[in-house]
Amino acid sequence: MTGGFVDLFTPADTFLHRLDPRVKIIAVLLLSVLAFILSNLDSLLLLLGFIFLLLFLARATLSRTLFALKFVVRFMVLIVVLWPLFDPSGTPVLAELGPVKITEPAIWRGVTSAVRVGCLATVWYILMFTTSQRDLVRALVKLGLRFDYGLTLAISLRFLPTFGVLIESIKDAQRARGLELSKGGLVRRSKNYVAVLVPTIVSALRTADTLSLALQSRAYGARADRTYLRELSMRPADYVALTVLVALLVLPAVAKFLLHVQI
Amino acid sequence: MIPSIVSPLHEGKVITIRNLKYVYEGGVTALVEVSLDFKRGEYAAIVGGNGSGKTTLAKTLNGLLRPTSGQVLIEERDASQMTVAELAKTVGYAFQNPDHQLFCSSVEEEIRFGPQNLGYPEDEVRKNVDRAVEAMALGKLRAVAPLSLRLGERRRVSIASVIAMNPEVLILDEPSTGLDNEETEELMAKLKVLNDEGKTIILITHDMRLVADHAKRVIVLSQGRVLLDSDPRGAFSDLDLLRQSNLQPPAVTQLAHRLVERGIPKDIISPQELVFQVLRAGGIK
Repeated sequence: MTGGFVDLFTPADTFLHRLDPRVKIIAVLLLSVLAFILSNLDSLLLLLGFIFLLLFLARATLSRTLFALKFVVRFMVLIVVLWPLFDPSGTPVLAELGPVKITEPAIWRGVTSAVRVGCLATVWYILMFTTSQRDLVRALVKLGLRFDYGLTLAISLRFLPTFGVLIESIKDAQRARGLELSKGGLVRRSKNYVAVLVPTIVSALRTADTLSLALQSRAYGARADRTYLRELSMRPADYVALTVLVALLVLPAVAKFLLHVQI
Repeated sequence: MIPSIVSPLHEGKVITIRNLKYVYEGGVTALVEVSLDFKRGEYAAIVGGNGSGKTTLAKTLNGLLRPTSGQVLIEERDASQMTVAELAKTVGYAFQNPDHQLFCSSVEEEIRFGPQNLGYPEDEVRKNVDRAVEAMALGKLRAVAPLSLRLGERRRVSIASVIAMNPEVLILDEPSTGLDNEETEELMAKLKVLNDEGKTIILITHDMRLVADHAKRVIVLSQGRVLLDSDPRGAFSDLDLLRQSNLQPPAVTQLAHRLVERGIPKDIISPQELVFQVLRAGGIK
């Protein structure tokens, strides 16, 4: 119930779900770089279209996507609105009020930046949507992250929802003792939160303590050359996807930086 | 000692629940249709397996959860019109895990927290704290940091911190979890004193021995409905019904059920009774 929003992963059997998580991480990085290389609105819209196609192929439902990207959409609207107010360069000038000058190119620049943000957010959303946290960490470890750090990351992700529930329970427990969290001014409110914060930290430390014992009792760190139950292995399809993605980045990059084509 | 103020005027119902329904966000129905009354000075236990709705029911009594439909009256007042803090003056709720409550640097401060939040005047706060300290036998621990105490003591502190608000009704969520036999018995003896002084006690538990030994009324919940509402003797005589709610009667009752053919009655809830009945039947051959 509570905290379910933390993990965006939705199990399904699609091409994107089956793709090797390493390829997916690389893909997301490549597409993110691509979003910065492209500066034309048309090409960025094309990229956004491609990303939405991927989203569609991953069988993401509209309602879930909108829920996950709610804040990004608000952020995009904010960019479109604010950009022209702070960027007075270019002509034609559409409106002028004191020091504020609204120009047509500035509006387009705002829209372009908003689309770029949209591309970045959606592409990372696809990664989180199609890859379980365990696979993600597994891939990072395979890509060279130290296993300790990978495990730390996995545990942090795993415990986010748990702590969400814990904090709710602590809030309830203190409310039952007459604590009114939203009452009073800023100082009073922050003081009120001490009653929630202290039990949360204490419980977190106790959990960490227990967890470390549990890890030790399963011989964690006994051997440096640990083996893995599930090995990641690249299938032909993974290589094809990787090649396509690299081409997708290299071609526009060459066009822009070597041939000086405006894209 | 907490003086009992059971004047004829105060006698009668302290909690009235009518057609209570509760549906969690996401569509899980925790309570289907619950109607119950609690009289002042009762000692009741709400039992049921995990997910039977017992904690949900208890949380609607002090406003932590607001019913989807139906009504909860606390001392004749509609709970939906009252804040959690207002309700806390009448319905005290001690959570299962004391570590979710304790945050002060001394037991005394911890116990003061509730009555201070409710805005009681200083002399009344002091009086209530003294009573709560006495009721949970924490006199020697007043200046100690609560988090350095043993679990049994921490639970007593958390219960004292609720008693200090001087509520008419005391709800305890799984009070025996993590306590050994002796600690449990100690705690239950203290609760009995409170009950004798006129406080209404409601235990939420699946510890059937606790129920058999202490409660005078058992409310069995299953899938959000009241399956049974009777005294412990009656509640434990119907094994099938208990099974429906994922519950098992105390071991001694189960043994009595197996000895039915030898003339032992089914409604036995204490070892002493069983011994008595066995002796009366002339022993078991």
